[in-house]
Amino acid sequence: MAKNNESDLYGTTFSIESMKVIAESIGIANLPDDASKELADDISFRLKHIIQDAAKFMNHSLRTKLMYTDIDATLRVKNIEPQYGFHSVDSLPFRFASGGGRELHFIEEKEVDLNEFVNNVNVKAPLEVTLRSHWLCIDGVQPTIPENPPPVSKEMQKLESVDPINKMNKPNKESSGKPSTGKQKLRNVETVQIKQLATHELSVEQQLYYKEITEACVGSDETRRTEALQSLASDPGLHEMLPRMCTFIIEGVRVNVVQNNLALLIYLMRMVKALLDNQSLFLEKYLHELIPSVTTCIVSKQLCMRPELDNHWALRDFASRLMAQICKNFNTSTNNIQTRVTRMFSNSLQQGDKLPLSSLYGALEGLSELGPEVIKTFILPRIKAIGARIETHLEGSLTSNLDKTASGHIKALLVKVLAPILKNIRNPPDYFEEYKADYGYLGPALQSAVMKARTQPTPAITPSNTSIAPVGATISRTVTAPMGIVQQTTSTPGRTIVMNQAGRVTTPTGNQKIVFVTQRSQPQGSIHQSQSSVQSQQNTVVKIMSNANAQSQQQKVVGTPQKLVVVCMPNTGTTNSAVINTQGQTTIPQSSTSQATNLISPGLNHNTNQPPFSVVPKPNFIQQTQKVKQDNVQPPSIDDLSHLA
Amino acid sequence: MSIHTINHDKSQLFAVLQVLKKYNLKGTEELLKKEANIAVDIDDDKIQQDSDVSSVLTGYKSDGDPETYENSYLELKQFVEGSLDIYKHELGMILYPVLVHMYLELVYNWHTEKAIALMKKFGPEQDSYYQDDLKKLAHVTKRDHMNGNELTDTFKSNQFIIRMSRDTLSLLKRHLHDKKESVLLNIIQEHLYFDMYEGVARNKNQIDATSGAVVGEATRQDNKTKVYYGIPKVPDIQTLAAPVEDEEEGTEDAPDKPKKKKAKKDPLFSKKTKSDPNAPPVDRIPIPDLKDNDKVEKVKAFREASKRVTLGPETLPSVCAYTLLNANHTVTCAEVTEDSSMLAVGFSDSIVKVWTLVPQKLKAMKSAEQLQDISTDAEDVLVRMMDERSGETSRSLFGHNGTVYSVSFSPDRTLLLSCSEDASIRLWSLQIWTCLVVYKGHMFPIWDIKFSPLGYYFATASHDRTARLWATDHYQPLRVFAGHFSDVDCIQFHPNSNYVATGSSDRRVCLWDCTTGNHVRIMTGHKSPIHTLAFSICGRFLASAGSDCKILIWDLAHGHLVAELSGHEKSIHSLIFSRCGNLLASSSLDCTLKLWDFTKLAEDTNSEDVNISHNPDVKTGDSYMLRSFATKASPIIALHFTRRNLLLAINMYDGVNV
Repeated sequence: MAKNNESDLYGTTFSIESMKVIAESIGIANLPDDASKELADDISFRLKHIIQDAAKFMNHSLRTKLMYTDIDATLRVKNIEPQYGFHSVDSLPFRFASGGGRELHFIEEKEVDLNEFVNNVNVKAPLEVTLRSHWLCIDGVQPTIPENPPPVSKEMQKLESVDPINKMNKPNKESSGKPSTGKQKLRNVETVQIKQLATHELSVEQQLYYKEITEACVGSDETRRTEALQSLASDPGLHEMLPRMCTFIIEGVRVNVVQNNLALLIYLMRMVKALLDNQSLFLEKYLHELIPSVTTCIVSKQLCMRPELDNHWALRDFASRLMAQICKNFNTSTNNIQTRVTRMFSNSLQQGDKLPLSSLYGALEGLSELGPEVIKTFILPRIKAIGARIETHLEGSLTSNLDKTASGHIKALLVKVLAPILKNIRNPPDYFEEYKADYGYLGPALQSAVMKARTQPTPAITPSNTSIAPVGATISRTVTAPMGIVQQTTSTPGRTIVMNQAGRVTTPTGNQKIVFVTQRSQPQGSIHQSQSSVQSQQNTVVKIMSNANAQSQQQKVVGTPQKLVVVCMPNTGTTNSAVINTQGQTTIPQSSTSQATNLISPGLNHNTNQPPFSVVPKPNFIQQTQKVKQDNVQPPSIDDLSHLA
Repeated sequence: MSIHTINHDKSQLFAVLQVLKKYNLKGTEELLKKEANIAVDIDDDKIQQDSDVSSVLTGYKSDGDPETYENSYLELKQFVEGSLDIYKHELGMILYPVLVHMYLELVYNWHTEKAIALMKKFGPEQDSYYQDDLKKLAHVTKRDHMNGNELTDTFKSNQFIIRMSRDTLSLLKRHLHDKKESVLLNIIQEHLYFDMYEGVARNKNQIDATSGAVVGEATRQDNKTKVYYGIPKVPDIQTLAAPVEDEEEGTEDAPDKPKKKKAKKDPLFSKKTKSDPNAPPVDRIPIPDLKDNDKVEKVKAFREASKRVTLGPETLPSVCAYTLLNANHTVTCAEVTEDSSMLAVGFSDSIVKVWTLVPQKLKAMKSAEQLQDISTDAEDVLVRMMDERSGETSRSLFGHNGTVYSVSFSPDRTLLLSCSEDASIRLWSLQIWTCLVVYKGHMFPIWDIKFSPLGYYFATASHDRTARLWATDHYQPLRVFAGHFSDVDCIQFHPNSNYVATGSSDRRVCLWDCTTGNHVRIMTGHKSPIHTLAFSICGRFLASAGSDCKILIWDLAHGHLVAELSGHEKSIHSLIFSRCGNLLASSSLDCTLKLWDFTKLAEDTNSEDVNISHNPDVKTGDSYMLRSFATKASPIIALHFTRRNLLLAINMYDGVNV
């Protein structure tokens, strides 16, 4: 009773002012107040009456939205001339304007150029109504096909994750519509049945599906992989398998990071991407597992067997974009994902010189994908320090070629992401000296990039691009060179490739001129235009380095304890972050001895197949690990990746 | 006007006479005078009676002090609230009609301010299902507004029916006698009708179950007529089936097959031979003889039926959904033929479109010259007269001049009926694909049309508050079913074709007898307009549903409300019983399809002892719902069970509101 209040009962009526305005519009000035009142009341009544009747026409047209046709039909029934000339496909938005203390709601009317209208012969014909059939349910069970809505809605999945009791209360009336047998009912009546909170029993079909999908995703057949990823990205009924899928990805990343299996890591990240794209999945429950894996692929010290050759940069870029997508989709005021991710990356930047260059690149790339504000706050202040660090690698002749490559990538990245920001925050006269003073080593490069950006009206480059290009596209075959030429510089004119083992401290080679060419692939279609310009610039940079010793700098220990769990590889004994756990609250104290070991025996001893430290032996994943191992016997060479493009 | 008029006193007759005089209708005046034995010439007191005319005819003239209305309503309310709990709810039923009539009386006598104050004070506390009507009434604030207003006219010219137990009624009468409130007494005398019954007063739930209609509940008298709700045995089929069967057997090659079939089919026929005591006599309504073609068809249907799956809670049907794409808000209705071979869809742009759902294409008949070449004696004359090359998967029928609100196939699938906003009915041929007849008779948009399950007859429901029965070979309607106080929104034939059920915006479901044109059942309980009706396979139950999102099941034997099934969230537009009668399927604009266990419901109902005066308890709750299936942003607009109990759902994809 008494659900409605009185204002609902009487609603609104036309104001006297509206009547006067309408009267003015047809040339009757100074309509008396009482006449306006009379008119307003009468018109309000008649309009309400018409709308009441129009609701009947709406109902019979199987709609819940009143449309102009309903009003027309009502007018016809009442023997009133209908309002011609009104037609709208969608709802009419009222525009609002105010000024001089008066408020006005009006419908925007566009001016139509009649000439254009008449001459336009190619009028768009409406699409023909077509009929399409599908199974809504088969013997009482709704098949999970794209035509049907997801069996458990996102809200429902959310509710289940937040309040699992809710699911237990109504076990039999599930919308997924599994046939309930009489036996089950009996058991419910007779005994108290305590259900496991998460009963994710997979049917045989689902198990088969899981097997097929996971095999296809990490297998060598690219067409099958595309299909599998397509299925992951669009199938509505995957929520029951989601925990399994996530575990598969996580374990896969763990194992393959240790084994430096770049290709598999890329495949796994593509799976993450597909799951993120699936509209029907409530992924929030699994973010605490997925984020560390993705982070690993961004900042891990080493991701591939041959860091000099393999394009692990592309994986870092791709994973960074994934991370940005996660932040964008799932950030709420309670979980603060974006803040935590940002803090994680910026904290790792604070590690200073003991952070490996590859990880530095990852952290920078991860930050730069999070948007210009993040870049401005977290990267820009450090640019001098970073510049100084890479300068030692790029300009110094004593550093390893590997470090040089990494530094080149970092430089290219920084120039790419900083140029559009600097363009906005600095005023036009770009003086070389100012840049040099403000940004140190990177100043000149930035200056030229900003100048370039100012001259050409480039499409706005958003570092946090939403469209993630498949990672395969950014990987192209790098120039092959025999592995044996480690620590050897060849000074052929043109393209000289300098290679080195990861982390190995190079022996000073004296005042030698080293021509350095970045191995960053030439961008393909889906990469931004701007990148290419920056890169072409980068590719032509020829640095002549003089002797520089980086050893002393590298031994610096940052005293501030990190709020990160830095998970290290077995045998490496380094703190150079491999996996950064977002949830970490404990700190591993860093000792200078470990630093020493780092210098002496840089972590390249990954030839053991020992699983990573934290793998909890789970029987159901042993098989999976073995499979990955099998894959590892014949690791897909980097050449395989070329077909990903 | 109303059949319940009690005060048949002279003043009314005088008033009528005056009106007749005014319009100079001498003949009628003489006749009426003669019949009523009034010799007096009323010329003398013409002036004095002039005001009486409007008073009697409108019933709202009152010289009561406008100040007293609020107090008398308040007193009545206090009396209701202060009475014993067992009577309280029954007494409470008079509050709403009293408020409405007080309001109208105040408005009529130009006390607008008082009227609005009264409505604002007491309107919101009425039962939620009256709020819609109160809102409509609240818009009426002047005497002029009452002219031609559907709702006020209904209240003015009809008495609001309230069912009350003897004890409650005597309590009320005593109170009124003690108080002597003239305003209240007048309203109760003039506008309320008490349908008294012996027995215990009802509780709130029982009252709520059956109230909600515009003019109150149905009287018991309304539902006393016997209804032949059974399905008559079909002698012609039984006798005919065998010879036709033999013929067919002769054509078939396998000699052992027919025997098997016969054995299987015999029980099917014998079941029908047991005559139903509630079935109407076969010749109660005239039905044209079956054509040879129809007989063949019937046999085919029986054969299909023998392969039917019997559905139940453990064996649920499969649902095949046909989605209409690119049809945002333009589809208004859809129907599938009995044999599930064709689908007709009506559009808001006046088009009717027919699709074939089977591999056989929609063929047109050959031209007249070509038809002359075909020998009429040929076995396959029906096949040969169709032009093989004209086959198409869909065909459009143009002719209407307004939104097509309903379509209906004839049982033999050669004809299609459609009705439209342009107030016309069109009969289309599905052999030559043109319009054959335009039936005109309705004055306003026609909301629904249905072919009789036996063919030949059809019925329509219209905005002009009537339903009409037609035959395909008559230009004029055979019967006009008048009695609803608002739009007749939906119509449905009883499986035995002797009755027609209508659902209306006055929130009543009526059952009409086709032979007499009278209403034989009036059922109240819906709280909103009714959009769809379905008869159970046995013919005894009627399911109805509409904007109030509830499915109500009625027992036609006595017109009782049996069950109230709720679960949908938006208005329900389609109901259907499975061919075996065990399941009820419903679909609504909330994009879901729900299956209900009708067997269980019928069993529960039968176990109760029910007679005319004793209302059974209304069953509610989730226990009858078996499943709910959602579609993807596609409201289901029509449902159909195939002969083998496969459920077809026609839905339209709503791309705009995704």
